[in-house]
Amino acid sequence: MNTWLAKIACFVEKYNFSDPREERALENFKQAAVRLGHEFDFMFRGDVSGIRGYDAVFIRATTDPLFTAYVVSKTAFELGLKVIDDPKSIQICGNKIHQYALFEKYGVPHIPTLFINKDEFHHRQILDIFREFGKPVVIKAPYTSFSRYVEKVACETSFREVALRFFRKSDVLTVQKFMPTAFDWRVGVLNDEILYVCKYMIPKGKWKHGAKLRGKPTVIWGRTFSMKRENAPVRLKEVALKACGIIGHGLYGVDIKEVNGEYVVVEVNDNPSIYAGYEDLRNEDVYGKIISYLAD
Amino acid sequence: MHAEILGNRVIPSSESIIDANRTPILLLKASRAGISTLPYLVTDSVRNIMSVFDFPVVVFAVNPFCYDGFKTAKNKSALYRAVKSLGMNYKFAVCAQPLRGEMVSFKSFFGKCEQDQALKEISERVYGVFGIPICKLHVQRVGGEAFLCGFQPLKKEEIVSQDLRLIGEEVSEMSNLGEHLVG
Repeated sequence: MNTWLAKIACFVEKYNFSDPREERALENFKQAAVRLGHEFDFMFRGDVSGIRGYDAVFIRATTDPLFTAYVVSKTAFELGLKVIDDPKSIQICGNKIHQYALFEKYGVPHIPTLFINKDEFHHRQILDIFREFGKPVVIKAPYTSFSRYVEKVACETSFREVALRFFRKSDVLTVQKFMPTAFDWRVGVLNDEILYVCKYMIPKGKWKHGAKLRGKPTVIWGRTFSMKRENAPVRLKEVALKACGIIGHGLYGVDIKEVNGEYVVVEVNDNPSIYAGYEDLRNEDVYGKIISYLAD
Repeated sequence: MHAEILGNRVIPSSESIIDANRTPILLLKASRAGISTLPYLVTDSVRNIMSVFDFPVVVFAVNPFCYDGFKTAKNKSALYRAVKSLGMNYKFAVCAQPLRGEMVSFKSFFGKCEQDQALKEISERVYGVFGIPICKLHVQRVGGEAFLCGFQPLKKEEIVSQDLRLIGEEVSEMSNLGEHLVG
């Protein structure tokens, strides 16, 4: 007789098992589920049609409205299953332009941001941006993830080169004021509660957490320092919760910069990375909390 | 979506556009709305498809980069070719359905089409669910019944002058009814 309390499907792709830290984290999710009395199966692309047999779906494959993960999420949602990440969050987090529009609408403190349009891109506009934000500025494509499609420019020539490259895939780009910090806060939020708090350190001589070595395709990542969520600054947690609250009530990773004692949101990510020994280091109940939310 | 986020009413909604263009979601939402559909399988494995359906089968892309409609396969090698092509070399899953009758593709404007009653009904109901005014529908006709199989955006060059007249009539009718005042 089946005695499982809930059946949870974890949608993954092969690449989710290529990093041993992520593989261990996935195994931790499975163990947490079993410990709580739930069934936890990894679901690959070939098994998607079996989704009706589950009570909840947890997506760990990279999400984007264009990817299979969205089809999985939307199918689960339409069937009334509990799903992380839900389709609405995937849509909003998959396009940073929409996200910043929401931040502005609801007064979430965020990095000073402007949108530039492909059709209105002009020499004078670049000058105006440099006058307003100073040099350098950060250009960001709307579909950025894992620090990709985010570049710093300090002159008009490089501004044009980067913008034209990003404009190939998007009609609108974001330009942000450059705010150098030694680290970015990463706050994990689940269902309007703080799940974990980390510091994503910026590698020495670089300006973002994941940076390419000059002339090489290799990406180097800064170190991750985890802290107990109870010990994190109260204002930081408030800002993170406010930013997530306008997007949804699922699982998010909020990137926040601390500038002159103020916290400003860089972006909210759905499908945040959870690596064993990193995000979970000081908050070991991360796995159990996510499983309990899915099974609730 | 940007307009929606800023609180504007947008027709069709970005959600409907994305959903209609992903065959499994299209079929799921359509069947829940009472539109006849056939069983389908989302997978990237030829073996899975063969274990569930007998030949012939019809295969639709699930990725948003293929605009070629569908491929039919009468044997294993044709199915391999279809899955490889529509799955962009196995990068994306595909949506397979049994081919029990004849595939019919037709244009639909504001839920109206110049087809028989069964297809007219499907066209109208798909428009009712997704609200997408201009599209191409792929339907399977089995005996006297029609089953929705897929959706495709209509390219500009596929719209002929007769279609433009039909669209114009529809828009002016909507304007006469005052629908231009909302949205």
